[in-house]
Amino acid sequence: MSQRYAYYPGCSLEASAVEYDLSTRSVLKALGVELEEIPDWSCCGASAGHAVSKSIALALPARDLAKAESMGRNVLAPCPACYKNLRYVRESLSDEEARRKVERLLEGTGLSLSGSSEVRHLLEVLAGDVGAERIAEAVTVPLEGLKVVTYYGCYITRPGGMRSFDDPVEPVSMDLLCRAVGAAVLPFTRKTRCCGAPVMMSAPEEMHRLSYEILQEAKQRGAEAVVVACPLCHHALDAAQPEIEKHHGALSMPVLYITQLLGLALGLNPFEELGLDRNVVSTEGIVKRFSKVTCSR
Amino acid sequence: MKTLVQEVIEAGGGESIKACYQCGTCTGGCPTAGEMDYTPRQIIRMVNLGMRDRVLTSSSIWLCASCYQCQVRCPRGVRIADVMAALRSIAIRDGITAAKPRAPAFYQSFLENISAYGRQFEPVLILRTIAKSREGVAAKLGFLLGMLPMGVTLLKSRKMPLRAEKVQAIEEVRRLFSNAERLEAEG
Ligand code: SF4
Ligand code: SF4
Repeated sequence: MSQRYAYYPGCSLEASAVEYDLSTRSVLKALGVELEEIPDWSCCGASAGHAVSKSIALALPARDLAKAESMGRNVLAPCPACYKNLRYVRESLSDEEARRKVERLLEGTGLSLSGSSEVRHLLEVLAGDVGAERIAEAVTVPLEGLKVVTYYGCYITRPGGMRSFDDPVEPVSMDLLCRAVGAAVLPFTRKTRCCGAPVMMSAPEEMHRLSYEILQEAKQRGAEAVVVACPLCHHALDAAQPEIEKHHGALSMPVLYITQLLGLALGLNPFEELGLDRNVVSTEGIVKRFSKVTCSR
Repeated sequence: MKTLVQEVIEAGGGESIKACYQCGTCTGGCPTAGEMDYTPRQIIRMVNLGMRDRVLTSSSIWLCASCYQCQVRCPRGVRIADVMAALRSIAIRDGITAAKPRAPAFYQSFLENISAYGRQFEPVLILRTIAKSREGVAAKLGFLLGMLPMGVTLLKSRKMPLRAEKVQAIEEVRRLFSNAERLEAEG
């Protein structure tokens, strides 16, 4: 039963989130899901499109979605911001005026958009299309005894005011996936509280404060890792953690992408296939516990 | 003359802004309200009252993290996060950026990078932002120095791209920009 998607990695996954890209490709391959990268895709505009004009916020994702349509596939996007922007364009098409606008925005590119391709977030594909049961069956190294908290952030549960595939107040998709591979998911009140990444430029100390609160609660509850599914959240919680520690004190809290966690349980190579040596906060303790491969090179 | 609320609606803020009954639910759930000079509830009221200058020069519109917490909770269906985004786009269009000059410089540089490469390229993004940000030399230097530890961190983890990934059909991407500009000019 092979599933196929038009894969939209997005810019972060080529840069600061390379381990998310690597682990997503590896885990989906291991689960028999086929990814075909959208050829010559371009940036979705992230939050800058909406900050500058409604037209550019529609135009940029429209090109990518049109390309996915010509592949005849639904889109899979691991980045929640890309997911939100691509969905925003697709859902706009139900409005006649917006549809005409999109047509005019694509003028001269030879592309057209009908809305035939759906846009899915990675978690939606893993928890929905693939399903926790199939993932549980594929486990070779159960993550028994590993205590984690799941952090969903904003755009998975509140994709720009559109309806989410998960519950906006008590999301469960990542919890189900973590449990399917044997990890213990601890209660956590900040699952959907903003990490602050979008105010990195205007108020970095605010970003640090919000991320600190998330990491601190994880620590208080005895979590050994925070599990995320967003490159921006990962940046705020993992890459900025040394900076946060300067202001708020030691944390040493590993932050894993959901695909890195699943991949460990599927017995994949922690470094070559999951990039666990690319996280800023060391994941060594977890890797040593659940993998025989302990040297990255 | 258009009223501010009309401008906001045209820029994508939604008609429902007129239905606000000032309950403050939006402010209650806002992660950054404590740092804003006017809370989200106040901003909505001020837009409805047409207090254009005070709204557009406020720090609030740049401190909004677009987290949508306010919007999903509003009992009147006011699209507060979309209103904030609409206000940012009006402020950028009119060059009103003094409250937090780095944020608008960042958004504009972000799009310039897309127009140049088709995709994002962080090192150039940061340099463009610093060049564009309307602040003094000392502040610019402080910003650059402040970014350095993160740069080093990312280099160490081999996560700092040193070469831009480019879109082949870059003329298609540039066409999107010129089409968007034309449509915005038509209003
Ligand atoms: S939650 Fe809605 S109705 Fe209440 S103050 Fe905010 S915008 Fe107005
Ligand atoms: S979207 Fe902006 S205004 Fe609304 S709660 Fe989030 S940060 Fe506050």
